[in-house]
Amino acid sequence: MSNTPQPAPVVSEHIELKARNVSFGWEKTPLHWIPGDPFTGHTINVLHLLLPAGERWFVHVYKQVLPYIRDERLREDVIGFIGQEATHSAAHDDVLPHLKALGLDPTPYTAQVDWLFEKLLGDRTLPPGRARRWWLMERVATIAAIEHYTAFLGDWILNADALDERGADAVMLDLLRWHGAEEVEHRSVAFDLFMHVDGSYRRRARTWATAFAALLFLWQRGARFFMENDPSLLDGKATVGAFLRAGRQGTLPTAGAMARSIPRYLSRTYHPSQEGSTAQAVAYLASSPGANGGR
Amino acid sequence: MPRTSSVVLAAGAALLVRRAVRRRIATSPLWPMPALEAPISGQGGRRVPSLRLAVAERAVPAEGVALLRLESPAGTPLPEWKPGAHLDLVLPSGLVRQYSLCGDPADRATYTVATRLIEDGRGGSREVHEQLREGAELVVRGPRNRFPLAEAPSYAFVAGGIGITPVLPMLRAVEAAGAEWRLLYGGRSRATMPFLDEIEKLGGERVTVVAEDEAGLPDTAAFLSGTGEGAAVYCCGPEPLMDAVAAALPEGRTLHLERFTPGASTAQLGTFEVELRRTGRTLTVPAGRSVLATVRDELPNVSYSCEQGFCGTCQQRVLEGEIDHQDELLTDAERQDSMLICVSRCLGRKLVLDL
Repeated sequence: MSNTPQPAPVVSEHIELKARNVSFGWEKTPLHWIPGDPFTGHTINVLHLLLPAGERWFVHVYKQVLPYIRDERLREDVIGFIGQEATHSAAHDDVLPHLKALGLDPTPYTAQVDWLFEKLLGDRTLPPGRARRWWLMERVATIAAIEHYTAFLGDWILNADALDERGADAVMLDLLRWHGAEEVEHRSVAFDLFMHVDGSYRRRARTWATAFAALLFLWQRGARFFMENDPSLLDGKATVGAFLRAGRQGTLPTAGAMARSIPRYLSRTYHPSQEGSTAQAVAYLASSPGANGGR
Repeated sequence: MPRTSSVVLAAGAALLVRRAVRRRIATSPLWPMPALEAPISGQGGRRVPSLRLAVAERAVPAEGVALLRLESPAGTPLPEWKPGAHLDLVLPSGLVRQYSLCGDPADRATYTVATRLIEDGRGGSREVHEQLREGAELVVRGPRNRFPLAEAPSYAFVAGGIGITPVLPMLRAVEAAGAEWRLLYGGRSRATMPFLDEIEKLGGERVTVVAEDEAGLPDTAAFLSGTGEGAAVYCCGPEPLMDAVAAALPEGRTLHLERFTPGASTAQLGTFEVELRRTGRTLTVPAGRSVLATVRDELPNVSYSCEQGFCGTCQQRVLEGEIDHQDELLTDAERQDSMLICVSRCLGRKLVLDL
């Protein structure tokens, strides 16, 4: 083992995790919450389609993995993580009825995401023992891969000043940044948990490939769904060109930054604490209106 | 080198497949993923919706009482509610406090709440009195109803002071339905008791007002002995009043209590038992310790997280026993047979959990 490179955590980035009770009032948020740029708004809105079911599924899987944890500090981290994810799921879920009220019913799409996480990635009818454990570990590894991207996006949104400059809706920005900050805050937990209960490099690479392909597929599909069904757009289309343009303007992550994050996750010495800043996340959380009682 | 005919064949096949897929997508844009027949996401969920409301009017209906009318700044109709419902007010400091709705349920434009300033309280009422001026905006959650009006042959209401707030819409409802009802309304002095004029006009002879500075404490036993068989008794007020009503309740009457300071109710201080049916163990939950903490001694892998009653991770099914819900998450339907074991407790002696 001593010859294999090991993940190198940055110890100072560790922090005790606690779910925050949040409140967001959506009454004043318009459908195009980035003025004049429905494509970018809708591309980010895909989060509201994926996260309610996705993060509910994280919680469902992690409740089952608790008995496998043999490290008290990791158990504390996972317990804090579960509450944060449950709160994220509920907070994004609250946006969906508002979109529906604005004339853009997301249910056809979210019902499919529900199917994906409840059925396809659900518990399935497996015999206890190896098969059940294998499927649990596969899902734990998948969550670690997805969390690499949520931490990437969390770090991005905390630094996306272009959105403020464009006059993006304050409540939506606060939801995204509160969520992003908690993702940065707990970015090591899913990876640490996977390394603790399994840690196989082949599984890590395999589940990364699946998660990455699924995210790309779901995201482009979600952006197209929103653009095509937006009642205020005559001929709404989501295009690769628009995505690259938004990346250049700083209102979406750039394709280059996303591509560069791939080899980092696949590196054998990767540890999530090497990226992003816990201090920046905590500073945002201390000032977030939504995380501090709707101030 | 592949032969030209193979290349042409492959390209032709690819073109045909592409055309078929495009046609399929054009007829049903979300092909090929199946959907869940009963969608879960975006259905309002179990999270109580948050609303951002503005204080449209602030009045003082009695000494030390502030009455707030809240309305949506955008003018959208507010969610419906029934008598007995309350709102969670998220105060500017982040404190969350529950206040009963005391307006008219038919009025979909405004919510009305009234609060008494408690000098040595935990700070919530002071914040309402000092900071929520007309025009102030705040987030509210709800409405929810833990104190619903049940069908009954007759009704008896006992209210102490500001405890009149959930009772007032009930009085209007039973009066409108032509039901038989009586009210015992106690308070420190007539000047501190809100809505007295309206209530006396509404009930006349059926209302007994007892002001402590004139007549001492209300005689709950005498009042309750005058109730008919099968009457529903609704009580909201200070703990001693609710204890007195519970102690003096005659046989055959059902008692409904609304504790308007959930964090400080005596129920939370009481000791009770929790049976873990599947584990086959019975544990004692002492005062000052949560059900969760007690259960974790026996089952260390029971899931939980926030320990404050909002994340929902520790929800457990309750097979028997009367639950004292202290969370701010579960829907009324979920409250029938489940609880968040991190904050909720037991109203009686024993709970049976499906664990």
